[in-house]
Amino acid sequence: MLDFLQTIVSGVAVGSSYALMGLAMVLIYKTSEVVNFAQGEMALVSCFFTYLVLEYHGFPFYVAFPGALVFSAILGCILEFAVLRRAKEPTILGMIIITIGLEMILMGFVSWKFGADPKTMPFPISPYDSVALGEVFVSSLEVLTFFVALAVMAILFFFLRYSKLGVAMKATQQNNMAARLMGIRTNRILMFTWGISSVVGCLAGLLISPMTMQPYMMWGPMLKGFASAVLGGMTSLPGAVFGAYLIGIIENLFGGYVSIEFKSVVAFAIVVLVLCIKPSGLFARHYVKKV
Amino acid sequence: MKMKGLFVGVLAVALTLGLSFGAMAEEGVTDTEIHIGQWGPQTGPAAPWGSVARGTDAYFKMINAQGGINGRKLIHHMFDDGYNPAKTKAGVKELQEGTGMFAWVSGVGTAPGLSVVDYLMDKKIPWVGPSAGSLHWIDPPKKYLFAVYPLYYIEAKGLCEYAVEKLRKTRVAIAYQNDDYGKNGLQGAAEQLAKYGLELVEQVPVEKSDTDMKPHIMKLKKAKADVVLLWVTPIHAIRIVGTGKAMRFGPQWMSTSTCSDFPFMFKISKGLWKGVIAATFGELPDSDDPLLQKYKKEAYEKYAAKGERWGLFYYAGILFAEPLVEGIKRCGKNLTRERLVKEMEGIKNFKGIGGTINYAPLDLAEPYCRQGQKEIFLVKCLDGGKYEKLTGWWKIK
Repeated sequence: MLDFLQTIVSGVAVGSSYALMGLAMVLIYKTSEVVNFAQGEMALVSCFFTYLVLEYHGFPFYVAFPGALVFSAILGCILEFAVLRRAKEPTILGMIIITIGLEMILMGFVSWKFGADPKTMPFPISPYDSVALGEVFVSSLEVLTFFVALAVMAILFFFLRYSKLGVAMKATQQNNMAARLMGIRTNRILMFTWGISSVVGCLAGLLISPMTMQPYMMWGPMLKGFASAVLGGMTSLPGAVFGAYLIGIIENLFGGYVSIEFKSVVAFAIVVLVLCIKPSGLFARHYVKKV
Repeated sequence: MKMKGLFVGVLAVALTLGLSFGAMAEEGVTDTEIHIGQWGPQTGPAAPWGSVARGTDAYFKMINAQGGINGRKLIHHMFDDGYNPAKTKAGVKELQEGTGMFAWVSGVGTAPGLSVVDYLMDKKIPWVGPSAGSLHWIDPPKKYLFAVYPLYYIEAKGLCEYAVEKLRKTRVAIAYQNDDYGKNGLQGAAEQLAKYGLELVEQVPVEKSDTDMKPHIMKLKKAKADVVLLWVTPIHAIRIVGTGKAMRFGPQWMSTSTCSDFPFMFKISKGLWKGVIAATFGELPDSDDPLLQKYKKEAYEKYAAKGERWGLFYYAGILFAEPLVEGIKRCGKNLTRERLVKEMEGIKNFKGIGGTINYAPLDLAEPYCRQGQKEIFLVKCLDGGKYEKLTGWWKIK
């Protein structure tokens, strides 16, 4: 029983970082229907930038971390403005291919600038300390990640539902042309979306970095985040979070009780299964054009 | 007219001789140059091991600055394969069939090496010092392949022997990378424990794509292991030890030479690597061994790129290439591949910056005739990533 509880808690713990990546991907997908494969590497650049100022320039945490979030917001906006918006007669597929190209460029940049040796991010909380819930252990960093993921989900949920910008984002996604006719500057909305999404991704990266950092570190979490988002329906924020926790828990249960060798791929098997049974994901509302 | 005929005759003879000499000259060798090829990941997940190739490069530059070998300079052709066997194979073929290598040296990784071993052996091209301690290189032994890196299999045996006989531990487990590298460690550990009538209490496979190590730790914890061997990449090793600490599981961790670069491991594990015991195959970075110091001064300090670290894997690039250089030296002016093989087979009690190197004439029934270094020693990580030697050079049976 204790093992089972530990497995569930471990699954929730690991699901939190997937949730953050999933949220970041859902945001961009919601407004542009583009799956952003550069999401992980955008966070990677921000994390290495943070590492640089912390390790080599001696900035304190309270400057470096907010600085990283600002940097990531600007990076997201710049990428949308300077790269994606320049695509001529863009199709969804073309845009996705552009994000894959961006992913490679950003990873290449980090490998070139910082080298391939693994590093570790200085962080106020040790990734190796843990909190004990009776005989069940969870690392303090994972507790922090859990609360950050829930907080980000709540903030984004209310932001999209009640703020003007949030509603404009939804309108842009549902009907770009109509939104423009209603006076929404859809290009600008897209740019802001990329900025916000980049900040959420950066948060995930910052919470992954205290253990080890290397140029490949965000690829796995990005894929798991994507799988979570697909599971949740790609357009639903709570869906992405729920999907992430579900994947985290199933992965751990599978690793613990079935086969540890195939633990990492079980997430993708679940996605295939869900897509076969319920193609729009678990949480998405299926829009059907009536006319 | 007679003179003209004579001239044509002499010219014809000269051309024929010239051509035949040309045809006799060994591929990759000229009067002034010897072309040596090497691959190593400079990008991708295994890039930290790419320093091996850069170490060899500095070593060759040092030799060239000192006049080369028997009047010939070593021309080093290094390429980045990203630890991707498909790229290794393409790169090796391109260099071999385009430029023409005399021999190959080092080359990081079991899987990349396995993708080209048949190609090199079929073409009878010498390959010295693969940068991986796999049993594949010597079992069965191959005429043109001379291994240097002590076997992972041997390292696992040594660590288990130490755990049982010195530390008096009986519950040994292993977390191993689910490929040839990890399985070599698993095999060595299982065989050594069987000698004491023991079995591995748990064997946990680790996939390269795994990032969450909690299920692995739970299995190890459940098995009540008091020693855990880590036959994984440095990043996975740190994740396992770190997750172990978070889940209050603290056995004696032991690891292979691939994780024995303690200053590096200590730093990126935020000090968690302290107390870990590892096998290693070369002099320690801070050793006052005169030869190691010479390499540091004349190869590393003169030719290493800015920011390059004097770490175990950097100078391992020298260690793996030393026997090849020795073999070429012994050939004298008459350098051919067959001669090199013969001279390499004659290397006995050669001491560079690793253990003693011995080869023997090819005997298909004796794999160790092609395993140069058979010794390792054990070290323990102290505060600040310093080394404590637990044993001297140790030949494990």
